[in-house]
Order: sequence, then structure tokens, then C-alpha cells
Amino acid sequence: MVGAKMATASIRERQTVALKRMLNFNVPHVKNSTGEPVWKVLIYDRFGQDIISPLLSVKELRDMGITLHLLLHSDRDPIPDVPAVYFVMPTEENIDRMCQDLRNQLYESYYLNFISAISRSKLEDIANAALAANAVPQVAKVFDQYLNFITLEDDMFVLCNQNKELVSYRAINRPDITDTEMETVMDTIVDSLFCFFVTLGAVPIIRCSRGTAAEMVAVKLDKKLRENLRDARNSLFTGDTLGAGQFSFQRPLLVLVDRNIDLATPLHHTWTYQALVHDVLDFHLNRVNLEESSGLENTPAGARPKRKNKKSYDLTPVDKFWQKHKGSPFPEVAESVQQELESYRAQEDEVKRLKSIMGLEGEDEGAISMLSDNTAKLTSAVSSLPELLEKKRLIDLHTNVATAVLEHIKARKLDVYFEYEEKIMSKTTLDKSLLDIISDPDAGTPEDKMRLFLIYYISAHQAPSEADLEQYKKALTDAGCNLNPLQYIKQWKAFAKMASAPASYGNTTTKPMGLFSRVMNTGSQFVMEGVKNLVLKQQNLPVTRILDNLMEMKSNPAIVFVVGGGNYIEYQNLIDYIKGKPGKHILYGCSELFNATQFVKQLSQLGQK
Amino acid sequence: MAVDITLLFRASVKTVKTRNKALGVAVGGGVDGNRDELYRRSPRPKGDFSSRAREVISHIGKLRDFLLEHRKDYINAHSHILSEYGRMTDAERDQIDQDAQTFMRTCSEAIQQLRNQAHKETHSQQVREHRSAVLDFTQDYLKRVCKLYSEQRAIRVKRVVDKKRLSKLEPEAAAKTREPGSEDVSLDPSPAGEKPVAEEHAEKVPAEAQPELGSWGDGKGEDELSPEEIQMFEQENQRLIGEMNSLFDEVRQIEGKVVEISRLQEIFTEKVLQQEAEIDSIHQLVVGATENIKEGNEDIREAIKNNAGFRVWVLFFLVMCSFSLLFLDWYDS
Repeated sequence: MVGAKMATASIRERQTVALKRMLNFNVPHVKNSTGEPVWKVLIYDRFGQDIISPLLSVKELRDMGITLHLLLHSDRDPIPDVPAVYFVMPTEENIDRMCQDLRNQLYESYYLNFISAISRSKLEDIANAALAANAVPQVAKVFDQYLNFITLEDDMFVLCNQNKELVSYRAINRPDITDTEMETVMDTIVDSLFCFFVTLGAVPIIRCSRGTAAEMVAVKLDKKLRENLRDARNSLFTGDTLGAGQFSFQRPLLVLVDRNIDLATPLHHTWTYQALVHDVLDFHLNRVNLEESSGLENTPAGARPKRKNKKSYDLTPVDKFWQKHKGSPFPEVAESVQQELESYRAQEDEVKRLKSIMGLEGEDEGAISMLSDNTAKLTSAVSSLPELLEKKRLIDLHTNVATAVLEHIKARKLDVYFEYEEKIMSKTTLDKSLLDIISDPDAGTPEDKMRLFLIYYISAHQAPSEADLEQYKKALTDAGCNLNPLQYIKQWKAFAKMASAPASYGNTTTKPMGLFSRVMNTGSQFVMEGVKNLVLKQQNLPVTRILDNLMEMKSNPAIVFVVGGGNYIEYQNLIDYIKGKPGKHILYGCSELFNATQFVKQLSQLGQK
Repeated sequence: MAVDITLLFRASVKTVKTRNKALGVAVGGGVDGNRDELYRRSPRPKGDFSSRAREVISHIGKLRDFLLEHRKDYINAHSHILSEYGRMTDAERDQIDQDAQTFMRTCSEAIQQLRNQAHKETHSQQVREHRSAVLDFTQDYLKRVCKLYSEQRAIRVKRVVDKKRLSKLEPEAAAKTREPGSEDVSLDPSPAGEKPVAEEHAEKVPAEAQPELGSWGDGKGEDELSPEEIQMFEQENQRLIGEMNSLFDEVRQIEGKVVEISRLQEIFTEKVLQQEAEIDSIHQLVVGATENIKEGNEDIREAIKNNAGFRVWVLFFLVMCSFSLLFLDWYDS
């Protein structure tokens, strides 16, 4: 029954199902093994591309009958006699281009799907163009899909990738923002959140912190939801969406938090696999881009310099290793890769051994009885071959990614930073002075040092004295850092002090120091010499603690949304928190996803003004 | 949940129409409209490729419907048991097989033709990609329908072989062993290929049955059999049952193995065919590479020659210059 299935569907599945239905001409998709092939062309804009790419691979698109997928604003040739499915945002330029397509009669029939709701006037523009081109019967269906958000994981979503400048932390917090601009930003965020809840099929209970951008978002979202519910006839939340969702018994709890309650976490150096990949490598929309230098041989004189290969890998839900280890600390990941490699080699050897046994065929009597066993073995070996190949590919992928991450760690001594920051954030005593680390020339890039200092500054109860500050500033500038972010943080801190007590980051009870040990992990291929084998303490970040307070004893599913930007560290923290409490569901969302580098850039832009 | 605003769209179309009428703008744009009509009627390569592809697909669909329709009758094992309808003679089955095969052959040829044609016609990159994808889909569809057909056929072949084996085991004297044996065997689909083993065992059994018949023939005269003889016969019966059972087990095992082997064969042939295509392309590449290297060598030789020639000219020029200098010097003195 569809109802029962939807009850446990994650947000990713829901969005995928919605997309597949759209691609099937808005008729629910049924797998039919001897069905006739139907072919179509998919046209999307950049927003649509960002939404589709983490969810459906090119092969899956092919399976749905899509022969070509093209960008809206590229040169497209007329392909007669083929239906075209459009998946675009209803902006002016997109509408213009679609009208142009209608005039040029590029395709046979048009199925228009708008990512978020289209306004009446724009609809009339299209009608106008269709009339002018005499193409009205060709426009077969027009739909509002309400899919204006990007789902990255089963329980994590992001609002946008293309126009993230518009809703970035900087855009919301800059001092010179006008009211109208703020309105536009809020509208964009609310529109996406609204689409999210329509897809989820539930009306949330909204909680937010007062006096922040989050409150503005909450008020607007509330208004929009009420308007929609009031119009009972056309409400998006009635019918079989309500009552068939995961949240059929309880309304989910939407917790809106503003980035400003916790500025240290985005700057934090991290130690879990997914967060590290995001921090250190080029990782968006579940795709990581690696630059590999192809070999260290000396190039003969006069030859062209060796080009670095660029490789990109997709880290998808099908990748079992990734799903299992994305939250594990890095040394564990290294070990697991080794283990996987070992088991793969063992299986490979077994298959190879069969080859030699086969060679004995017909030589002696004993071979006949061996043969009967071996046919079974051979069958199982052959049928397991595709699996084995897939496993090898994943192992290669993760070996490359983990090696790249490890190189960065070694070069920048990220383990040292991580340990130190953990200590700062949990207010345990520091064994090394901050100044030492900052003036250490080969520990980390200037940016790492800046991050460390900012975290120190943010989490210190009282601001360091002027003299100390000057000393630090001098050390930082010597190391080559730009001091603009510091300006901004000072302002922020002053403001935050006025507003409320600064959030504390962890328990003040001292955990035994034995957890951090300098064990060198020599057994693995990933020679982590000098890299400490750090063990993560379970420690709740401010966002997690807010959620904890709000959720109390009820087991409503909860959605945490950070206005102003989020990152994988918080996501991982929430996942870890929820692991200890079975029966609760949490979804994590943010208006944009940035890593520490990008955040520092935004802070320095803010500090310049 | 997606909202269908097609009706809203149609309403907007009407609104725009009425608005245009009110404003006096001709609906459909008078001259422009006519031009558009003409433009459309001008022969776009509309129907050719895709209508043919659609034809092929509808053919394959017909084949699929045909196969599915007659499937039940086709694989009805007990068609020798009288039933009112749904009986299918072997001749009919053969006919279906023949027809299906010719049909499939024509379809795949049609697809191949379409592919060649699409290659020849130079259209834009996008159209070409689209067409090759469409042909891939069609071929996939054909493969799926063929699978239906081959499954049916495999079942039928198994039953035929099975019947043959039964008919071989018929002349055995051990009547009691025949019934359980044949029932079991007819229930499991037995594949071809275990004939040699089955045959030799089958031969052994009739050979053993002979002396029995002989002894029965001899003992026919006596009406009563002495208790020892009864016991002996009992023992022999037991022995025969045991032998039959072990035979039967072995045969079953071997059947299983052979089924697996045939499946493996299928997989291997598939892989080998795939590799054939790849090897062909590698061959092409290698041939291309050797051509390129040959040309490269030629070019290098040319370059060397030119270099040498160039040097000769330079030397010549220098010698001429020095002679002319000498001449001028002599002339001047």
C-alpha cells in the first residue's frame, strides 16, 4: 500500500519519488519489465540540476526513458516528435527562454514543471507565447512541483546552491542591509521551507529563538502555512498527503536557530570522515573533486609539464562503505579501508584459485567429485563478480579520497588543531599556549591559525586583555593572516554579550586525559606517523543542546533548521545524539552549506565594512 | 505534492485570447499565424525516424502479446491429458517457435537498419545522441521480449527430453519402481545432457531385468514359489529398489550441475560477446596508432632531409660569400 510505504519514507525518498513521477509525465511510476519504451527529453536550469543530481544518476535517468538532458539556457536543436519535460524555476529569463522554445517549435509536446509556484502573470506570459506560436495544444501539462530544496542525505537538506550568495550568512548579517533586501532573502528562505513541508506532507510546530533572523523566518513561514491551510479547497496539506506521512500522528517540531548562537562550530577543525572531506577537499552536492598529480617521474627536458588529473567521485547512498563510515573518526576509516581491501583480496584469490582447479578437469577420478563442488563454486563466483568489481571500485575511491585527506592532515597538522580546539571548547586546561601554536611556522596554513584564534576568542568568557590581544594580533599577522574576521567577531561578541549569555560548548567536567593518546598507527597502509590517534568525546554542540531541551520527553520528529548556514559537524553531532535515543527522528537543514574556508571569507568581508 | 495547474494555464490562455481580442490584436497573429502554419507544414523530418522506431516497437509489442497469449497453452505439460481447449500439438508449438524467430530476426534487422541510417544522416550532436538512445531502448525491449520466448522454449525442450527419458525407462520389468520414478522425474524439469549417464544406467537395468524375466519365465510353470525363492525375490527387489534410488539421486545431482553449467555458459557467452566488441575497438585503435606512427616516421624523415638540405644551402651561401669577398679583394687591389 502506498500509505504504508510512505510512512517510513525519508525526505530523500520522497523527493526522489516526486521527481520520478514528474519524469513519468506526472503519472505515478510503476516498474514494468516488459513495458514499451517511452522516450523523452529533460530540460532543466541550474536549480533543477542541483536538485536532481544528488538524487538520480544518469543511469537512472536513462532507465526512466530520458534520452537527453540539457540545460535550459544552452543551444538546443529541434528534435521533432519527442516530448520534453521541463524542470525550471519560474524566473523571468527562464520564462523568456521557454517562450522562445515554444516559438521555435523545438519539441513535440511540452510538460512544464516549475520548481516552486509560478505567479499568475508569468503563467499568462507563457500562455501568450503559446498562443502566438499556435502551440497551445502542445503544452500538455503544467505543474507546480514544490521541490525547491536540495536533499543531500536521508535526513539532511540544504536550501540552495546556485544562489547561495543571496541567503548567505553575510547577506543576512551585513550592517548595510536594507529592509527590502532582507524581505527578499526571507522570502526566498520561506519559499524553500514551505516547499519542504509540502513535500513532507506535514504542518510543523514552529519554535525559534527571539530577536534573530530565525524569528523573522518563523513568522513568515507561519503566515504562509496558515494562509494555505485556511483555503481548505486548495490546501496542499489535505488529501492523502496528510495522514500518509511519517508524521501522521504527530506534527513535527521545527526548530529554527540562527547561526549567531554558535559561530565556533563552523570554524572548528574536525575529525570525522564526511566533515573532513568537506573541510579539506572540494566537496559539493555529494561530489568530491580531487586533483591528482600523475606520478613523480622527472619530465624529460623540453616535454610539456605533466598535467594533473582531475577526478571526481560521487559519494552516494548506494556506497555502503560511505554510509557506514561517514561519521567515524578518521583513523577508524583508514583501518576499515584496509580491512575492506583485505577481504576483497581474499575473495579475488578464491576466484583465481578456481581457475587452477578447473585445470585439473578430466585428469583423475578425484576431479569428477571436485567438479561437482566446483560448478557450484564457479556459479557463485561468477554471479558474485559484478559485486566484487563494484567493491573494488569503492575501495579505490575511498583509498584515493582518504589518501588526499591524509595528505592535508599531515601537511597542516590538523590533528593538533583539532585537539587544541576541543580543549578550548570544553574549557579544560590547555597544555600548550595559544601563542606557541600560532607562531609555529609549520603547523597549518594562516587560515587554520585564524580559525583557532577565533574559536579561542569566541569561547573565552572574558575578552583577553589588550596587551595579550596585541600580542596575538602581531603573531597572527606575522603568520600571514588577514585580521578582518577578528573585527567582525569583536562586534558580534559585543552584541551577543548584550543580548544574552554566551553559549557554552561542552560539559565543564573534566574528562580523563587518557582519551587523547599519541598512538602511532603503524599497521595500516595509511601511515599515520606523528598523527595522533584521537578519539572523539561525545559532546553536544549548542544546537544539539537546544534541540535536547525542546524535545524533552515527547518523541515528535524534529527538524532543526539553521538560518545563516550550517555544516557537517553539526549534522554529525545531531546524528550521534539521536543514536542514543531510539524512536526519534531528526532532520537537519540549513540555508546554505559552507566549510570553514568559505565562512572565514564571509567573516572577513563582513569585517571589512 | 505537485499541484496540477494545467487548468489554470488553459484559463490563462482564454484570458489572454479575450484580452487580445479586446485590444484588437489578431488572435494567432494573422500573417504571422499563416506563416507559422506554412512553416510547420514544410517538411520537417518529423515522422521519418521516430515513426519508424515506433513501428518497430509496436511490432515487438504484438510479438509480446502473441507470446503471452499462447504461453499457458504452450507450456501446458499435460497436454496429452485430454482437455477441452488449450491443447496444443507439437506442430503448433513448432510453428509458434518458427514465427517468433523470424519475427525477432526481422525486428533486429529493422533496428540495425535504423541505426545505420541514423549514422549516415548528419544531424546535430543532440539529435544523434537522442536517436542512438532511442535505438538502445528499442533493442532492450526486443531483448526482454526475446527472453520471454527463450524461457518458454527452454521449458518445452526440457519436457521433451524428459519424455524421451521416460520412454526409455518404459521397458523395465520393475513395475513398482517405474511409477514412483517416473512421477518424480516428470515433476522436476530435467534438462538435456544427462543422456549418456541415464542411458547407460537405463541399459544396465533392462539387462538386469532380463534374467528376472527369464527366471519368471522359468518359474511360470510352478504355481507356487517356495519360501526361499520368495525370500530371494524379495531380496532382489530390495536391492533393485536401492539401486534405483541411488541412481535417481545421482541423476538428480547431475541434472542440477548441468543446469548450473548451462547458466554459466550463457553468462560466459554474453561476456565473450561483449569483449568481442571491445576487442574490435581496441583493434581499430591499434591500427590507427600504427598508421599514425608510420606517418610520424615519414614526417621525421622529411624533416631530416630538409634539415640536411638547408645546411647544404647555408654552406653554399657561405662559400659563395667568401669567394666573392676574395674576388672583390683581388679586383680591388
